[in-house]
Amino acid sequence: MRARALLISLVLACTCTVFAQNGGGQNGGELRFCLRSDPKTFNPLLVNDDASETVRYLTAGFLLRVNRLTQQPEPDLAISWKILNQGKSIRFKLRPDVRYSDGTPFSAVDVAYTMQRLLDGSVHSATSDAFRSGEGKLVTRVLSPTLIELNFPAPVANLAYLFDFVPILSSTSPQKEMAALGPFFVAEHKAGAFVLLKRNPNYWKKDPQGRQLPYLDSVRLEVEQNPDIEAMRYERGEIDLINTVSPAIYEKLSSVNASSVRDAGPSTDVEEVWFNQVPSAPIPAYKKQWFASTAFRHAISEAINREDMARLVFRGHAVPAAGNVPQSNKFWFNANLQPQAYDTSGALRRLQSDGFRMENQQLRDKNGNPVEFSIVTNAGNRSREQMATMIQQDLKKIGIKVNVVTLDFNSLLERMTQTFNYEACLLGTVNGDLDPSSQMTMWLSSGEDHIWNPKEKAPATAWEAEIDKQMRIQASTLDLHKRKAAWDQVQKIAWEQAPVIYLVNKDSLVAISPQIKNAQPSPFRPQAYWNIENLMLARR
Amino acid sequence: MFRSLLLALLRFLVLMLVAGLAGATLVRVAPGFSSDAQELTPGLSSESIQAIRQARLADSNVPQFYLHYLNGLLHGNLGTSQSLNEPVLDLLRDRLPVSLRSLALALLVAWSVGLALAVGAFRVRSRWFVAAADSSGGAFISTPAAVLALVFLMMRWPPVLAVGLLVFPKIYRYSRNLMEECLELPHIVVARAKGVGPWRLLSWHVVPIAIPQLIALVGVSISLGLGALLPVEVFCDLHGIGQLAWTAAQSRDLPLLVNLTFVVSCLTIGAIMCCDQLRRLAGREATA
Amino acid sequence: MKMLHKIAIAVLLSAALASVLARYIAPAGYEQQFRDEAQARPSIHHLLGTDDLGRDRFARVVYGMRVSLFLAPLAALLSTILAAAVGGIAGFCGGWVERVVMGATDLFLALPWLFLLITVRAVLPLNLSPVASVIITFALLGMLGWAPAARVICAGARQALQSDFVWSARARGCGGLRLIRVHLLPSLRPALAAQFFLSIPVFIIAEANLGALGLGVSEPLPSLGGLVCELQDFVMLRPEPWRLAPLVVLIVVIGAFQVLLSKQEVQA
Repeated sequence: MRARALLISLVLACTCTVFAQNGGGQNGGELRFCLRSDPKTFNPLLVNDDASETVRYLTAGFLLRVNRLTQQPEPDLAISWKILNQGKSIRFKLRPDVRYSDGTPFSAVDVAYTMQRLLDGSVHSATSDAFRSGEGKLVTRVLSPTLIELNFPAPVANLAYLFDFVPILSSTSPQKEMAALGPFFVAEHKAGAFVLLKRNPNYWKKDPQGRQLPYLDSVRLEVEQNPDIEAMRYERGEIDLINTVSPAIYEKLSSVNASSVRDAGPSTDVEEVWFNQVPSAPIPAYKKQWFASTAFRHAISEAINREDMARLVFRGHAVPAAGNVPQSNKFWFNANLQPQAYDTSGALRRLQSDGFRMENQQLRDKNGNPVEFSIVTNAGNRSREQMATMIQQDLKKIGIKVNVVTLDFNSLLERMTQTFNYEACLLGTVNGDLDPSSQMTMWLSSGEDHIWNPKEKAPATAWEAEIDKQMRIQASTLDLHKRKAAWDQVQKIAWEQAPVIYLVNKDSLVAISPQIKNAQPSPFRPQAYWNIENLMLARR
Repeated sequence: MFRSLLLALLRFLVLMLVAGLAGATLVRVAPGFSSDAQELTPGLSSESIQAIRQARLADSNVPQFYLHYLNGLLHGNLGTSQSLNEPVLDLLRDRLPVSLRSLALALLVAWSVGLALAVGAFRVRSRWFVAAADSSGGAFISTPAAVLALVFLMMRWPPVLAVGLLVFPKIYRYSRNLMEECLELPHIVVARAKGVGPWRLLSWHVVPIAIPQLIALVGVSISLGLGALLPVEVFCDLHGIGQLAWTAAQSRDLPLLVNLTFVVSCLTIGAIMCCDQLRRLAGREATA
Repeated sequence: MKMLHKIAIAVLLSAALASVLARYIAPAGYEQQFRDEAQARPSIHHLLGTDDLGRDRFARVVYGMRVSLFLAPLAALLSTILAAAVGGIAGFCGGWVERVVMGATDLFLALPWLFLLITVRAVLPLNLSPVASVIITFALLGMLGWAPAARVICAGARQALQSDFVWSARARGCGGLRLIRVHLLPSLRPALAAQFFLSIPVFIIAEANLGALGLGVSEPLPSLGGLVCELQDFVMLRPEPWRLAPLVVLIVVIGAFQVLLSKQEVQA
């Protein structure tokens, strides 16, 4: 009797200890949240949309993973790695005894297979393009089942971090791309309705107590296009988290239950406006002259009230931006740069020094042309429409007439990238990668993403030539401090010349049910569930 | 009769073919056809962007695409959606029944409410009733479909009922006008003078005259209902063809859009033609 | 009923006057942003409070009426005239003319006009004034909104042609345009009147939805349709009663139209 009581007490004590350690959570349960659209593909190498990226993040295995809080790479399928040959080669030591979700063993052959598939020319993605550093082919050397060396024809910038985006496929599994190395695998998919992910029984990771991860049994991803309805469902408890919440919805949810939402700080998303500087653009020549003038661009930047934008449009959940690198990107942010201060008088003085003059509340250039231009932005994005309206009012104070034109996204994209039939554009940049190498195509004057004047045959200005030089320096050296210095210089030139006028860095706003334990929202994608294997549900 | 049915079927097929070609041409000519949001992915090389654009321009020759599509249609292949990467046949098989059920329910509500109010106004002959019916119709027609549908969602009612409330004002208005117009006809004036009661007047004298126009209105109400249903499906995320159409329109998904044009044409034109045939029959019986 | 008509006339006159004299009635310009008073509740200074950017709601409703309540009826008139012309001609001529015209009408109903509207926006200059943009928008709505009514008008015309008074007129030698003008059109008036006033609120709302394509009223000019569409926020986020004002104004004005036109419909 006494022994039985002792045994019961012991069991109870152990349960309480576990319970206390897990903060009240339990193994099992289904996490539910929404995707904005149906995933276009379950092939991890062909992912190019957000919904497919979510599924890939939750199911694929990677050699290393960047911790979204510390921003440092951590071992995953690879125990360690070493960069060789001045950045032309990398050697991975792989974790032994790892299996795919269907039991197929994982080895160095799978890594070689994946890299060959990624670079065989049929895959067009930012990741594969980042590895294509020069002419020539990738050479893979499988040194042992757990040791592999990858040799590129030329040094690859930020080589190790790129593997945070390379999902490792199986070369032998009959399930092909559906065999998962991540915490979950795709169990069911109904097009346009939902994707059901179930726990990978062979997932290699364990918690500090030796329990196999993930804690959750399954993840249900419902397709929900309307963010207002998504918020309604969250309030009703039909879903457990919302990865990205608008400021208005954040306020509403916060007013009901402050612990159900979190502001994770400035994200890598930045809102910006730029002027069309393409020489062949079908806009009047005198307007091209304005847009090409640094003084004009700086004056416009000075005349925009970013504090008001952050306060009114984003309800205080944004900060004025000095560049497209937010403060939360601790290493790469240039702390010497400050957001352009709002100064209407200063803007007018700058314009006057550039030959503009005020006449009856209307600003005119030196040839008497009234200063008037249009800003295009994508329709349906409430924040951008409001920002454009605020810019319209701000510039009215210095005699500039702005016409706000909202277009459907495809039409806008065609104007921006093909016909160049626009004057100014207001859009946002989404940076998934913290490293500046991912922005090569934006800053190089020959780049496709050199938004104000894409694919220049030669740099149009001296400062663009300088940016080209600095970007190549940071891409070709392994010395982090040299890279940082070069990138700081690029940010400084961008601030001085203002080819892109950065407006605000938006905060990462997430909604996470208090039922979810171990959630640590990050400013970086995927904000709410980057540590999915550690999430657990409280007793329902 | 057989000849007229055959002619009607031929006309239907010709209209469908023209609708499909015209729809495909509109999509192709509209700006943004060769653009894809994937182009904006940071870090994509020039070659990758060109490959994405070329993939989109694969169907840029409309006559060629359309002939190829019709050939596939004859073999039961409706093509593959570019935006959703799924066979169009599977997508339609999943979503069309949802929209058809919603449309049927919405039209049932619209006709029930519309006719009930019209008959009520005819029977009661009270200016307050008429004012109330007019006001409610005006209120619903002035409210955006999205707002009404969201209210229904908040109340946990089926949002498709909102579609019925958006369509009934037109049915009520036309039906009431028809009935009022019939009251002025000489034989009905005589019937009233002879003391024929209102229900008998309505069922024996007014309805037979109004039926041909009401049947015409049925055909039109189907297209009105469809027009109101599609935005409701988009806003409320109902898995019907409305949501599919919006996704396809945003991404200029030509294979999906051509198929959806066919579906909508089939529903609209088919309904109208059926109603026309019924109306002719009803008209012949009335004169007989 | 006379009292009701007087009230309806008074409402419409008030709306028209308010629109014309907006500059004197509105406490501030529709575009003026009181940024320190954003999302304010109603007060002496802002009768209906302010919106997200601090703009006076009352001013925006008054100016919005000007845009929507002048242009939407014009667009409705255009679509009614087109419906009358197409449906009337088809019903009057009958035979193969009716079949071809109605076939074209059915085709018109089935096509995805969204892409035509996107193309129109692409062709228009970017620096179009807000007034020109809204006029073009309503003109487009008028030109595209006739098809549903044309069928009903056609059926009505066909029926009218079978009626005794038309036979009698034809027997007396009345034909062609005179027959249409004197005998056919009056019998179609109820349907045309219904089409007209039903189109007004539909076009007001449709104009707001066209903003998604770059057409419609551009900032900072407000429209009643645009203000009504903002009610999505009211439903989902902030159920503040004063935000219903644009919808109430629209319902009251449409109701007044209905009262006046129902007299026309009944007399016909």
